[in-house]
Amino acid sequence: MFGWMGKIIKIDISNGKQETIKITNELRRKYLGGRGLGVKLYSDMCSSQIEPLSPENALIFLTGPLTGIIPTAGRYQVISRSPLTNTICDSSSGGVFGNQLKKTGLDGFIITGKAEKPVYLLITDNGIEIKDASHLWGKNTQQTRDALTEKYSVKASVASIGPAGENQVVYAAIMNDKDRAAGRGGMGAIMGSKHLKAVVAIGSKEIQVAHPDALKELLTKVDRLIDKNPVTGKSLQLLGTSVLVNVINAHGMYPTENFQRGVFNDAEGTSGEKISEVLLQKRSACFKCPIACGRSTKTENKEGEGPEYETVWAFGAQLGINDLTKITEANYLCNELGLDTITTGSTIGCAMELYEKGVFPHELKWGDADILEKLVTDIAYKRGIGAELALGSKKLAEKYGKPELAMQVKGLEIPAYDPRGVQGQALAFATSNRGGCHMRAYMIATEILGSPVFMDRYSINGKPEIVALLQDISAVVDSMILCRFLQLAISISTFTEMVNVVTGLNYSDDELLEVGTRIYNLEREFNSKAGFTRQDDMLPSRFLEEDLEEGSSRNRVVHLDKMLDEYYAVRGWDENGIPMEVTKKKLGI
Amino acid sequence: MENLDINKIAKMIDHTELKSNSGQKKILNLCNEAKMFGFVSVCINPHYVKFAYEQLKDSDVLVCSVIGFPLGMNTSRLKALEAEQAVRDGAEEIDMVINVGALRDKNYDFVLEDIRQVVKASAPSHVKVILETCYLTDEQIVKACQLCVEAGAHFVKTSTGFGAFGAFPHHVKLMRETVGPDIGVKAAGGISNFKDAIRLINAGANRLGTSAGVLILEGAKFFKFAPEAWLEPEIPCHICPSRHANIAKLPKAVYAYYKKKCLTCEYRDKYNRFYD
Repeated sequence: MFGWMGKIIKIDISNGKQETIKITNELRRKYLGGRGLGVKLYSDMCSSQIEPLSPENALIFLTGPLTGIIPTAGRYQVISRSPLTNTICDSSSGGVFGNQLKKTGLDGFIITGKAEKPVYLLITDNGIEIKDASHLWGKNTQQTRDALTEKYSVKASVASIGPAGENQVVYAAIMNDKDRAAGRGGMGAIMGSKHLKAVVAIGSKEIQVAHPDALKELLTKVDRLIDKNPVTGKSLQLLGTSVLVNVINAHGMYPTENFQRGVFNDAEGTSGEKISEVLLQKRSACFKCPIACGRSTKTENKEGEGPEYETVWAFGAQLGINDLTKITEANYLCNELGLDTITTGSTIGCAMELYEKGVFPHELKWGDADILEKLVTDIAYKRGIGAELALGSKKLAEKYGKPELAMQVKGLEIPAYDPRGVQGQALAFATSNRGGCHMRAYMIATEILGSPVFMDRYSINGKPEIVALLQDISAVVDSMILCRFLQLAISISTFTEMVNVVTGLNYSDDELLEVGTRIYNLEREFNSKAGFTRQDDMLPSRFLEEDLEEGSSRNRVVHLDKMLDEYYAVRGWDENGIPMEVTKKKLGI
Repeated sequence: MENLDINKIAKMIDHTELKSNSGQKKILNLCNEAKMFGFVSVCINPHYVKFAYEQLKDSDVLVCSVIGFPLGMNTSRLKALEAEQAVRDGAEEIDMVINVGALRDKNYDFVLEDIRQVVKASAPSHVKVILETCYLTDEQIVKACQLCVEAGAHFVKTSTGFGAFGAFPHHVKLMRETVGPDIGVKAAGGISNFKDAIRLINAGANRLGTSAGVLILEGAKFFKFAPEAWLEPEIPCHICPSRHANIAKLPKAVYAYYKKKCLTCEYRDKYNRFYD
């Protein structure tokens, strides 16, 4: 078998029972791996009504057919039902964990049940062992990694939860390779609910490639494509993802103080340029990645990774904070405690506005950087005010009677792009199957960065079709699995070439894209059965009714309803956003 | 454009690297990319012609050298000598810059002779004449095209890429209408994606000069999915030279010419949000 290793293990962590899951060639062809295969396996295994933090829930870790072969493909995907949103959810992470996992001879593993006491999984070429993790419970992610790599090997890759996951904070992350996060949707809480502290992967098996010579030639071309693209070949390398701070601020859509404004006057002081100037120690890269967007940084007191764009925003402009050191240290703390930085920062921002509006009893003021460390820690341990913030913004705002002040879709906090400045990205946020996420369809690429072409960011014309297209391509990329930054430089045709030379299959571009369409529809089908409808493809009313007052995105709102109708038609969904029978039949769902 | 042929677009692209800070490694990459992606030529400064020729002599990629670049203000004799050496070093195409000042002075005999000397020195290689359209009114562009045809040039070309702005469909269309079907029209300057490329081809260009050829070809592969959405009709102002006329960069008369056109444009009221 080429590309895939051909083995997925299901393990009931309650009793240690293991079984090999049979994956047919047809299933691989239809869903690839990673997100796609994970969503399929999960949908077949779990009901749409399952309680995410119950022992019955399944948590799936998968690699993809390109994992360990193509540059950037050290990634893995975690799939389950999110305790934050109740949607189906997949969360992706970089680093090298995916590569190590695959080299053990597994494409992935599925965990069900709940261990009586804390455990970790040791995965080697010889299989999966369940090990006692009592001594690790309570440790942060860095301590856990250090303890396990010291015990086994410096080559071991460790994915673990921190205190936030142990305490089942619904937006707890899984951290691997020190500072890489499967951050969104609370996959860390599910690990915590199963008493699973960590997974250690050490593999040495070869991954077979169907056409090695053709692969070599193709990778030369890919190298040129990455190098020639101004974003992947220059901006991300030099300034990291935070290069966007000044760009998005200049477009008047850099969310400030819980999206009340689109221009942050102190953006320059928290920009990628400033990070490079005062914090950067060196660039860091995931598996064989030529881009190396990661930032190894150091403050006066600590060192670590980040902040990347979304995080510098979440603890910066979103809270009116301009202290880059405090922002960076809050990022380090989230990495150690195992928290999603976007939801953490956005929820604090929601609380600050609730306080400003006089409905939140605890004093939280815009711009107060000194409270960050305590707030983030309290969230992870669910203590004091942190217990309330650990709910996430949606439930917090509902609790205080102001649901409109939570900047979320389906319970997942919207990241650092004000939708009023980008109509296509607004539609992508609204229709994302896992909630307010920029990674389902990164319309910023075309609406702001001009990749592959510039589309008028204020116009709704053509946007539904392009959003659907990018959602489908993204689903393919998440299933192969590659870094999504490659999508800025590489078209679906080149992805098709990659899959074909690695697996020996002969996908056409259309067939590969249909894989993405199938995955997106299957996710939607799961959500529909769970009760999600058009009403959930909705943005906070702020974006539909309130103009921004300054900046180049001022005097605009999102025209969501018009785009939704067209989007559903493009998708073959009914007026409620539910896939029609004819659509499902065509896609073989 | 439903059946966009990516190979055909590649064969229209002069893969270009003209920056003063480009080292030999960049030119080597340029040549390798031209072979890999099937571009018609590499367009480079004369200094690198010999080197590029060595890289490309066993391929079907041509070497194109710019001459009198980027200002076009060298003497005619120097331009001819420069062209002669470039051809001797392996250039099969020559992109010369017209003397814009002489053209604007209506010194047409001089301009004609300037082009003639380069055409003669370059034979049998083909000559493209860069008009630097950003500094010209429509009437001057028409006159320049007529002089190029008369002087025996093989192509007229919009821009150096170093002027106030690059290629616009309006100018390409005007140039094509003037030179007819037998002379080439090359659009260059600011062509950064496949939408730009398609727009200019539709306006009449049969050659594109760009350093973004790799991006254009890869981007064009998106086109077959949702072609109508990608090519949503452009707001006319986006691709109008008047919109891009910059008072700091243009001669006073040319700036006034473009702004006058803008003020009397039929689209002005409809798209007046650009003038808020």
